[in-house]
Amino acid sequence: MSVLEAHIVKQRRAFTVDVRLHLRAGDRFGLFGASGAGKSTVMSCLAGIESPDAGRISLGATQLYPPNLPLHRRPLAYLTQGDWLFPHLTVGQNVCFSLHKRNPNGAKEWIDELAERLDLRRIWDEPVVSISGGQARRVALARMLVRRPPVVLLDEPFTALDRATTDELVEALREWHAALGFTLIAVDHRPEILRRLCTRVAIIEYGRIVQEGPWSSVIAAPATSLSARLLSG
Amino acid sequence: MFVFVLALLYPLSGLGARVGRWQWDGIIPGSTATAVWNSLSLTAIALAVDVAVGTPVAYYLARSGCRDRIVWEAAVLLSVLMPPLALGILLSLAFGPQTALGAWLLRVGIPTSNSPLAFATTQVYASIGYYILAARAALAAVPRELEQVAALLGSTPLQVFWRVTFPLAKLGLAAAVSIAWVRALGEFGAVVVTAYYPSGMPVQIWINLQDAGMPAVLPLLIVFLLTALPLPWLIHLLAQRRNVSA
Repeated sequence: MSVLEAHIVKQRRAFTVDVRLHLRAGDRFGLFGASGAGKSTVMSCLAGIESPDAGRISLGATQLYPPNLPLHRRPLAYLTQGDWLFPHLTVGQNVCFSLHKRNPNGAKEWIDELAERLDLRRIWDEPVVSISGGQARRVALARMLVRRPPVVLLDEPFTALDRATTDELVEALREWHAALGFTLIAVDHRPEILRRLCTRVAIIEYGRIVQEGPWSSVIAAPATSLSARLLSG
Repeated sequence: MFVFVLALLYPLSGLGARVGRWQWDGIIPGSTATAVWNSLSLTAIALAVDVAVGTPVAYYLARSGCRDRIVWEAAVLLSVLMPPLALGILLSLAFGPQTALGAWLLRVGIPTSNSPLAFATTQVYASIGYYILAARAALAAVPRELEQVAALLGSTPLQVFWRVTFPLAKLGLAAAVSIAWVRALGEFGAVVVTAYYPSGMPVQIWINLQDAGMPAVLPLLIVFLLTALPLPWLIHLLAQRRNVSA
């Protein structure tokens, strides 16, 4: 069953982003391209932060655009380069923010698992303003996953993290993907990250998808010289 | 800091001036208590209106990307720039019994001059612009991304405001409330035109000055300072304490 159908048209200063996506439930899909190619615009439109100029986005039976569905009604999670933790709350309060007064079945066990796996136990009651950048990224990841979203959008969330932390978080995401079965769409300018996170990739140049397929075929025969350079770099 | 505070409060040394035996009530018995009650109760109502109406407006101005925002900001600035006396005259001309609106309100039993309604309305006009400008600055300082993250985590716009925007803006909002309170409570120029009666403390100070001179002014001034200060001070203390504990 197709879970995500998207046709996004968005005018940028230098070019028009015009991208079509077709993802099935549980897919791990990567968007790869140079800086400014339009990857983040696509993610931002999927998340609802930006509204496309035209097109259509649907997630299962839920139509996200048009009209632009309000953010709080979108069944997806979105993690960007910024952690955007709530500075007036503790680590634990940030992680549990989306649960509010609801207490879904198994929430406690799931929170415990997230806290354990991401090593948040020691800092659970600390204000987030006092934790390190790597810890903040773990908190943001836990906060995003605590609702068990059916779709996870990752827009270069590992930028500025050291190699060890990045490896650890990528591995954790793979494990949780296997356990929870969410659909994953990731953007990164580093091919090695996407290769580990995603099974399929689309190469985007100047707002258009120029190639799409499994990693092996894209790497074996890049469609453009620019993507060949980026993939080898 | 000490020197600054000393200079700032130096005018209060005037309270020690030898002006003769203080008269706590001017020439009308009970006038001080009445003025205090009028000022505090009607200013509280005006402040509630400021907050209830001004906060959504401030939030719109802080967050709206529309070009029409520039026009609304100009309108708010205009209300702040208005000299108080001119504001009072304009309010009298716009709401007075000689206007259709004022005449109709008078017919249904709501007098628009020299009444509690006139008093509180004038205070709202005099203070809401200040509240909006200060609240707008406080709300605009909260990163929009935090609100977007909260919404993407399933919070409705109202929940986002209470759980994210308000806690992060509360110190600035406390300042906005304080400014509005002080501005409304101390309003004289406009109120003296629209609502000489029921007299609030600033107008009563003026009446006392005219009727009994300085001996009746200084005690009322002290009462004014003692009653005006606690609310904004308390709001500031609460906002800061919660910030520290958070």
